[in-house]
Amino acid sequence: MGILLERLPGITKGLPGGQLLLTTADYFIDLSRKSSLWPMTFGLACCAIEMMASYASRFDFDRFGVIPRPSPRQADLMIVAGTVVKKMAEPILQIYHQMPEPRFVISMGSCANCGGPYYDSYSVLKGVDRIVPVDVYVAGCPPRPEALQYAVVKLQEKIARMGLAKTSGASLQQERGSRDVAAEGPRIEPPLPPRTPATEK
Amino acid sequence: MTQEELEKALSEKLPSLEKASVQVRNYLTMRLKSPGDLLRTARVLKEEMGFDYLEIVSATDWLGPVKPEGFILNPNPNVFLPEGATPQTWPTTTPGVAYRPVFDMLWVLGNIPERIRLFLRLEIPRESPRVPSLTGLFAAADWQEREVYDLMGIVFEGHPNLAKILTPDFIVGHPLRKDYVHLKDKYDE
Repeated sequence: MGILLERLPGITKGLPGGQLLLTTADYFIDLSRKSSLWPMTFGLACCAIEMMASYASRFDFDRFGVIPRPSPRQADLMIVAGTVVKKMAEPILQIYHQMPEPRFVISMGSCANCGGPYYDSYSVLKGVDRIVPVDVYVAGCPPRPEALQYAVVKLQEKIARMGLAKTSGASLQQERGSRDVAAEGPRIEPPLPPRTPATEK
Repeated sequence: MTQEELEKALSEKLPSLEKASVQVRNYLTMRLKSPGDLLRTARVLKEEMGFDYLEIVSATDWLGPVKPEGFILNPNPNVFLPEGATPQTWPTTTPGVAYRPVFDMLWVLGNIPERIRLFLRLEIPRESPRVPSLTGLFAAADWQEREVYDLMGIVFEGHPNLAKILTPDFIVGHPLRKDYVHLKDKYDE
């Protein structure tokens, strides 16, 4: 499968009708990817209660093909549900890099989006998108299970636009994958120089 | 054992304790006179009076409100306020509170068969706060004293491993002190 995913765009490039073959392959690959999104159970705070409720029978995540997995190596979606403290940032990065490609991240709740009510705290990360690329943000404190399920629906729409050829829908990180050294590693930018009134304008 | 009986027994065995002016809820709260009394008091309480369960080690910083420099990143969280407007989250002093530069230590000891609790309080100065450690008497004191050290910066003399327990290594200072100023680390902007 990996050989197919990597080589197919190159093989079909010179063939007559190769574009049709590629888009047909895209359709089936995206169908299988979006129909069995397996999230890793990553509950950090009270949003995890709503996440558990959406797995359970009343809201029934199973009808989207979403089945919680206990290990990052079996998962392709990470639902960051709750407050990300700075001490948890390193484990999140480690777990993110343990997930196989392609991998997706849903940031659930205000705390994971931007720090939420703990924005001025000394120990809370101001948004999980400072360390991992996020595909879908869910607003709410905490979001209802319907909101999380709508986020999965939006993520499925996003996956349906992905293609094997380059620059066709996926984000840069998903496209290049973890095998690319430049895409590897924590995305912690060096601190910006202090803004002066002359440059600010 | 009722509170009156406990107070009477304490006045016989530990006359150096005095009843605190402010009781913690409706529990008996006694005040120690100096840090040197703590170990002897705790030993008598544990070995002779049956208080063999250490419930809480905690501390209060009684320094008044200080300017939140570096701590509140945006003093004007309301984006519709003009630049330079009065910050909305500026702490003010509460009338009637005796602010003073001390840490008020708190130990809670429990006597489970007698179903009674005893609160011990001790005021220590904010400059170089040091109290003896209770780890020799109560194993439960280990992590709780590390937590108080991590968040308030109170040094427990005689603790076998007085290291940070909660905050990550790159956080400098003791965050629950009133005059804590947050230094930006690699996860801040």
